[in-house]
Amino acid sequence: MNIPFKPGRRRFIQGAGLLGLNLAASGMPGALAKSAPQTVTVVTSYADEFVSRIEAAFEKAYPQYRLRVVWRMPNDAAPYLQQPDHGGADVYWSASPRTFARLARDNTWRKLPIDSGALPRQVGKTELGDAAGFYTASEIAGFGFAVSPPALTQRGLPLPADWTDLSDPRLAGLIALPVPARVGFAPPMVEIVLQAYGWQRGWALWSEIAANAKPIERGSTFVTDEIAAGRCAIGLSIDFFVNSAIANGAALSFIYPRHTGLNPAHIAVTRNSPNPEGAAAFVNFLLSLNGQKLLAHPDIRRLPIRPDAYAGLPTRQFNPFAAAAEGGLQFDSDAARPRLATSASLFQQMLIEPLAELTPLWRRLQAAEQAGKPLPEVRRLLGAPPIDEAAANDPALHRAIGLRLEGENPAIPTPQELAWGETAARNRHAARKLLDEAGA
Amino acid sequence: MKLKPTLSRLSRLAAFGALFAHFVHAPAGHAAETPAVIDREVLSRPLPGLSAEEEERFRRGRSLFRQSWVIAPANDVAVDGLGPLYNRLACISCHAKNGRGGAPDKPEERMQSMLVRLSLPGRNAQGGPLPHPAYGDQLNEEGIPGVPGEGRAHLHWHHKQARLADGTTVTLRWPSLSFSELAYGKLGKTLTSLRVSPHVAGLGLLDAVEEKTLLALAAEKKPDGVRGTVNLVYDKATGQPAVGRFGLKSNMPNLRQQIAGAFVGDMGITSPLFAQENCTAAQTACAAAPHGGQPELSATQLDEISFYLANLAPPPRRASDSPQVRQGEAHFAELGCATCHRPQLISGEVAGNPRLSRQSFAPYTDLLLHDMGPQLADGRPDHRANGRQWRTAPLWGLGVLTAINEQRGLLHDGRARTAEEAILWHGGEAETARRRYIKADRTQRAALLAFLQSL
Ligand code: HEC
Ligand code: HEC
Repeated sequence: MNIPFKPGRRRFIQGAGLLGLNLAASGMPGALAKSAPQTVTVVTSYADEFVSRIEAAFEKAYPQYRLRVVWRMPNDAAPYLQQPDHGGADVYWSASPRTFARLARDNTWRKLPIDSGALPRQVGKTELGDAAGFYTASEIAGFGFAVSPPALTQRGLPLPADWTDLSDPRLAGLIALPVPARVGFAPPMVEIVLQAYGWQRGWALWSEIAANAKPIERGSTFVTDEIAAGRCAIGLSIDFFVNSAIANGAALSFIYPRHTGLNPAHIAVTRNSPNPEGAAAFVNFLLSLNGQKLLAHPDIRRLPIRPDAYAGLPTRQFNPFAAAAEGGLQFDSDAARPRLATSASLFQQMLIEPLAELTPLWRRLQAAEQAGKPLPEVRRLLGAPPIDEAAANDPALHRAIGLRLEGENPAIPTPQELAWGETAARNRHAARKLLDEAGA
Repeated sequence: MKLKPTLSRLSRLAAFGALFAHFVHAPAGHAAETPAVIDREVLSRPLPGLSAEEEERFRRGRSLFRQSWVIAPANDVAVDGLGPLYNRLACISCHAKNGRGGAPDKPEERMQSMLVRLSLPGRNAQGGPLPHPAYGDQLNEEGIPGVPGEGRAHLHWHHKQARLADGTTVTLRWPSLSFSELAYGKLGKTLTSLRVSPHVAGLGLLDAVEEKTLLALAAEKKPDGVRGTVNLVYDKATGQPAVGRFGLKSNMPNLRQQIAGAFVGDMGITSPLFAQENCTAAQTACAAAPHGGQPELSATQLDEISFYLANLAPPPRRASDSPQVRQGEAHFAELGCATCHRPQLISGEVAGNPRLSRQSFAPYTDLLLHDMGPQLADGRPDHRANGRQWRTAPLWGLGVLTAINEQRGLLHDGRARTAEEAILWHGGEAETARRRYIKADRTQRAALLAFLQSL
C-alpha cells in the first residue's frame, strides 16, 4: 500500500555550511544541511517513550523537517489549538476521539492532506476517522483484562474470557477497576458493557463487578501495579499499558474479552498550519508501514491501523482486523461517545461513591443465592440504573455534564447527578430491607 | 573487532521491537507463561521495604520523572512551566527507563539524550563555571513557540584503530562538535563539554556516602600513579561548600540539588533551589514568556522526585557465580580497575531511611575525580575539577543497558559503543590499567568483559 506524498523541495544534506567551532581533530567532519530543517509543531499527549521514538524515526525519514513537540493533555490541548494561530501547531496527534470531533465542529482542522482512501476506514464497528476527512486514525487500542495467571490459578479460578466472568464472587476484592470519572481511558469500558448487554443488564453486571473491585483513581500503569504488587489478580485496562508492561518483563497476560471495542487515536492538521507540507510529511510518516511498525516497540505497543503492519508480528499478537472479520469488535465507539461522560458519572454515583455500602449487600445476596434462596427483587434493586436509557441519551444532559467538566469546579456533581446517587441509595435501602427480612 | 556497519536507526528500532514482540502475548486460557527473558524494568524498582505510604510517594515521584512538561499557561498547573528554553520534555527523554543516553550517529541527527555544557574561561562567584553571557551554561536546543531555541549542536565522528598486544584491532571513534542555527549571536571562544546521561538507579546510596568517607578515599595512597580528588562545590541549600558527587565531574553536592539543577537546566523548570528561569539578558523573548508559577516545581514535588530517585534500587548483579565472571572479577582487581571503580562503598546514616543507612554496596566508583588524559579531556573546568578530570563512572548497571536503551554510549560523550572501547580510551591516571588490558590475553579480556556485563 502506498500513500502518495510529494515532499516538495527535499533539502537533502549537502555541502558544508558549518557555522561551528572547534572542529579540531582529523579530517573534515560530516557535511550538514545548508539550510536548517523546518519545524513541524505537533501537539500531543502521548508519553515520552512513544513521542521520542517517533521523533527520531520521523526526522531520519524526513531530514528536511524537525519536530517540535508541545505536550498537553486533551483538555488543555483543545483551548490551545482553538487559538487563531493554534499556538503555532501544525498537527494534533492524540488518543482523544472526543477532542478531535469537538475541534472538527469548531473548524480547527483542514482537510487531511493525504489520500486516505488506501487505508481501511473501519475495523469492526469502529470508524477509523471522520466522514468529512478532517482526521484519521493513527493507531488503535483495545480494552480488556490484565491478569496474573498464577494469582488466579492459586485461587482455583479460571482466566476470565468475558465481562460476565468478572461477577464471580470468588473475585471479591481482586479486580483493579480504574474509576471511569477519574481515569481518562476508562469511560469506553462502561459503554462496551452497556452496548454488549443492554442498558438494564449492563448496569446490573457492572454493579456486581464493582462489588468485586478495588477502585483505582489513576490510570496508566497504576492498574498493573496493583496486580504486580499481588493485591489484585485482574485489572480492567486499555491494552497498551499492559502489553507494554509484559514486553518489559512483567509476568502478566492480557485478555481481550469476547465483547470488546477499540479506542482509535487520531491525527489532524490545523487549518492555519504554518508548515502544511511538513504536517503532511508527519501524517504520512505515521501512517506509513515504517511508522506503523514502530507501534510494536515494547514501550509503545499500540495496534497499527494498517493490516499489512501485522505481517511479521507473532501470531499471538492480537489483530483487530482478524478479530473483526470473525465478528468481534462490535462496539461502536462513535455512537457511545456523546454519552461517555454521562455514563461515567452514573457509574460514579451508583457504584463508586457508595462502593463500601454496595459491596456487602452483594455479598449477602450472593450468599443467600448460594444457599438456594434466590432474591430476584434484591438483585434487581442492586443492579438498577437510576435513570432509563432514553433519559441518559438526552443531549441536554450531555451538555450540562460537559459544562460541569469544563467549568470551574469539574469535580462537583450537578443536582441532577446527585439525584442519581439518591435514587441508587433508595434502591440499596430497599434491598437491605428485603435482605434483612429474608434473614440473609 | 570490526566496526559494525551503522544500521539506520529506523531499522534498529524495528528490530528492537521485533526482538521483544516475542515475549508479549500470553493468550487467554494459558496459565503458565514463560516469564520474559529480558527485564526492562530492572532500573525502575524501589529498594525493598517501602511502607504503603512510601510506595505511594515513590509512585508520585515516578510520575514526575516520567512527566512530559507543559508550556504555561495551562490547566495542568501542577506540571506546567516548560522552558521557555529547554532540551527535552521529560526527565525520561534522556534517562529512558531510568537508563542511559547515547550520542547521535550522524551530525544532522538531534541529540536525543545528551547535552552540551558551555562556559567562558574563568569562574563564577561560587567557584563554578562562568556562564556564557548570551547562552548560559548549557545549550538549550529547544524553545517553546515564540522563543527561538539557542541553536543546534552536531557531532562529527572520527575513527581510528587501536591494536591490542595479540594483534586484535578495535575501531574507536571520537567526536568533534559544531554548532548551527545559533539564535543569540556568536558563541565566540567558548568552552564546551559533551555529556551523555548516566542511568539513575542506586543514587540514594551514593547520596548517603559521608563526605568524610570520600575525603578518606581521596587521601588514601593508591598504586599505579592513581590519585583521585574530591570536587568541592557549592551547596545551595546551606550556602556552604560541599563535596561533589553527582554529575560527570562530581559537580553537584547532593541528589536534591542535582535534580533541581536538571529541572532548570534541561527543562527550564524553576524550583525552590533554582528560582530563576534560565534566560540570559540577550534572551528577551525567553524572559517575557509566561511562567508556570514561582517556582514551577513545588518543594513537595521536588521532595517526591528526590524520594523516588533516592529509593530506586541499584541494578542487581547477574550471573555473578559463573566461573568466567569470577575470573573477570579477579582480573578487574589485578589490572587496577578497582582502584578507581571501587567495588565497595559504605553509606552513612540517613534519617528515617534504614534502607539507605549504613549499607555496604557495590557501585564500582569512588566518586572521585581522576585525570583521564588528553584524549578524554574536555578542557572545561567545573569547580575544582580541571579540564582533564572526570568522576569515576559507576559501573553498576553496565550490563543491563543493552536490554533497556537502544541508544546508549559509554564515557562522558557517548563515544564508546562497548565497554572494551571505553577501556581503550582510558589514559592519564588510568594509563597503567589500560596498558595492562592491552597486554591481557583473549581469555582474560573475555572474562573481564563478562564480569562488566554482570554488573
Ligand atoms: C537533555 C538530557 C537530559 C534531561 C532532559 C535530563 N537529564 Fe539528567 N542527566 C543528563 C546528563 C547529561 C547528566 C550528566 C550531567 C553532568 O555531567 O553534569 C545527567 C545527570 C543526572 C543525574 C546525576 C546522575 C549521576 O550519576 O551523577 C540525575 C540524578 C539526573 N540527571 C536527574 C534528572 C532529572 C530529575 C531530570 C528531569 C528533571 C533529568 N535528569 C533530565 C541528561 C539529562
Ligand atoms: C584512574 C581511575 C580509573 C581506572 C584505573 C579505571 N577507570 Fe574506568 N573510568 C574512570 C573514569 C574517570 C571514567 C569516566 C570517563 C569519562 O566519562 O570520560 C571511567 C569509565 C569507564 C567505563 C565507562 C563507563 C560509563 O558508564 O561510561 C568503563 C566500562 C570502565 N571505566 C572500565 C574500566 C576498567 C575495566 C578498568 C580497568 C582496566 C578501568 N575502568 C580503570 C576511571 C578509571
